[in-house]
Amino acid sequence: MSWMESIKFALSSILAHKLRSALTMLGIIIGVGSIVTIVAIGQGGEAALKSQFAASGNNTIEINFIPDSDDPFAMITDELPVFTEDNIFQLRKIPEVKHVITTNSSMEMLMVNEQSISTQVLGVTDEFFAVNSIEMKRGRKLNEADFSQSNNVIMINDGAAQELFKDSKVIGQILEIKGQPFEVIGVYKSAGGLFGLSTPEIIMPLTLWPVLYGTDDIQSVTLQVKDISQLELAGTKAAKMLNDAKSPELEGKYEVLNLEELQKSMAGITKIMTMIIGGIASISLLVGGVGVMNIMLVSVTERTREIGIRKALGATRGNILLQFLIESMMLTLFGGTIGITFGAAGAYFVSFIAKWPPLVSIEVIIGAILFSIILGIIFGIMPANKAAKMEPIDALRYE
Amino acid sequence: MISLKNIFKSYIQGDLDVPVLHDINIEINRGEFVSIMGPSGSGKSTLMNIIGCIDRPTSGEYVLNGFNILESNEKKLSMIRNQFIGFVFQHFHLLPRLNALENVELPLIYGGISKKERRKRAQEVLAKVGLADRMDHLPNQLSGGQKQRVAIARAIATNPSFILADEPTGALDSKSGEQIMNIFTQLNKEGTTIIMVTHEEEVAAYTPRCILLRDGRITSDMKRVFT
Ligand SMILES: Nc1ncnc2c1ncn2[C@@H]1O[C@H](COP(=O)(O)OP(=O)(O)OP(=O)(O)O)[C@@H](O)[C@H]1O
Ligand SMILES: [Mg+2]
Repeated sequence: MSWMESIKFALSSILAHKLRSALTMLGIIIGVGSIVTIVAIGQGGEAALKSQFAASGNNTIEINFIPDSDDPFAMITDELPVFTEDNIFQLRKIPEVKHVITTNSSMEMLMVNEQSISTQVLGVTDEFFAVNSIEMKRGRKLNEADFSQSNNVIMINDGAAQELFKDSKVIGQILEIKGQPFEVIGVYKSAGGLFGLSTPEIIMPLTLWPVLYGTDDIQSVTLQVKDISQLELAGTKAAKMLNDAKSPELEGKYEVLNLEELQKSMAGITKIMTMIIGGIASISLLVGGVGVMNIMLVSVTERTREIGIRKALGATRGNILLQFLIESMMLTLFGGTIGITFGAAGAYFVSFIAKWPPLVSIEVIIGAILFSIILGIIFGIMPANKAAKMEPIDALRYE
Repeated sequence: MISLKNIFKSYIQGDLDVPVLHDINIEINRGEFVSIMGPSGSGKSTLMNIIGCIDRPTSGEYVLNGFNILESNEKKLSMIRNQFIGFVFQHFHLLPRLNALENVELPLIYGGISKKERRKRAQEVLAKVGLADRMDHLPNQLSGGQKQRVAIARAIATNPSFILADEPTGALDSKSGEQIMNIFTQLNKEGTTIIMVTHEEEVAAYTPRCILLRDGRITSDMKRVFT
């Protein structure tokens, strides 16, 4: 006898008692639903953690210097620790690191038409463009030659174009920054300029920074790794390297976004939730499983005559066992599938409140389906075996 | 084909060992049409169940188509029931959720016949018992006589060595009973072996051989020649 036949028989018997079947599934629905919710919440939390860690989502991580908190004067801006050329050189040697993006920034008051306008000036290297996608509105980006030859050229954002030049012809204009003349070669779209225009911003080759500011130290370093999974490793390596190289009088340490702490607080929340929901899940699975077993035993007794007829017609013990086992498996599978739906809804709800990305992965769904089927086998094997072992004559005589 | 030797059967009830069949010796050959008669409680059904391999005698020897039944395991008995025996019960014993066609297909499913083949076969035998127009009816949409005809179709679907019918007309009015007997007679003419239990003389009159049971013993085993 084929599986198809067994499934057909099982389905017809489940559908013959719709209400009873539905009530039997309830425990399985709640149990499987709860498990799906827990796992999805856990995975969502982890993903939230990862996405915070990999802030912009393009596999980058910023390295910060955290001054010792008991030294309130460590933050004096002039003394802000910086990255030396040698630091950067060493960072590039970390195998997981793809790009080291070094940037400096400064707020400048630019005089245009007798008006002073505060503008953010960024000095970047060509690697900046490898990591940040910048959309040009007019003109061109800084190119290889601009960087290598330290050309006095700048790109400005649309905010700066508006503020500094009142949107008249911009390309080719000359702008004076700290006494140096710069030619505007392009206008780019501001990243977060949703509400009107963003603050004016200027991007120039970092190679010009020493000319303007008299130092070749780097203020900000961002690492880009080849694969997101290497982010943590690369970050840890970089921090260790910088801390080893730092001069002892520098009070504080280099750090990447503190992963451990974040993980701990996240784990704290999920642990309590996992315990509560896990408790509900295991109780309802046990109750649900016993319910399935009970209903299957009732079903076997009710259908004693049917079992006798089937045996008289040539059904083997295996045929009968399989028929009832498939029936209980289908009960738990239906229950499990409904549970997965509710569980996914629950996970979306929780992640909506916790502002985590909802995560009901295909692995969770497949796992839950397999788990439901296994429940059906565990709680169905005893009734199915009872049916299979019936003597045909006793089964036929059953009143 | 069927050889029963010194069959003894008793039921244990409490401390008592209640004998039901004593020293039964029967030979039935291919193509026979046999009726078994006897008073109520004489052991007819018990004997039928033993012949049908759904019950075991306490002692004795039973050889069916060369198989030693009492030494066969459960799996082999399933095969024997499926391939060699067609059951017709007094109360039809159709599965209520399956329609006539599906009921007839059931033994073919357990026989491992392909879907296409068994559908064709089931339709053929249903047509043979005159139910070509009732194939998709559920048992509760059929009359008693029709149900018994579906049961006969189910019994002959696998082309068994013989049909075992325990009071096949017992739950039917005389007209339907007659119809069933006509079908049996026709099947027997075509070569089907039939063994049947009945209470009614008129029904037994259809059969060339009649075995009488009384208190679990064979008191007569007559063959008559129809003229
Ligand atoms: N499972 C059982 N346990 C104990 N005694 C039984 C059992 N089955 C049958 N008997 C006894 O065996 C005897 C024969 O029963 P059986 O059913 O074979 O009679 P029968 O000839 O078919 O009668 P009827 O014509 O009424 O159908 C009866 O006395 C009955 O009480
Ligand atoms: Mg009887």
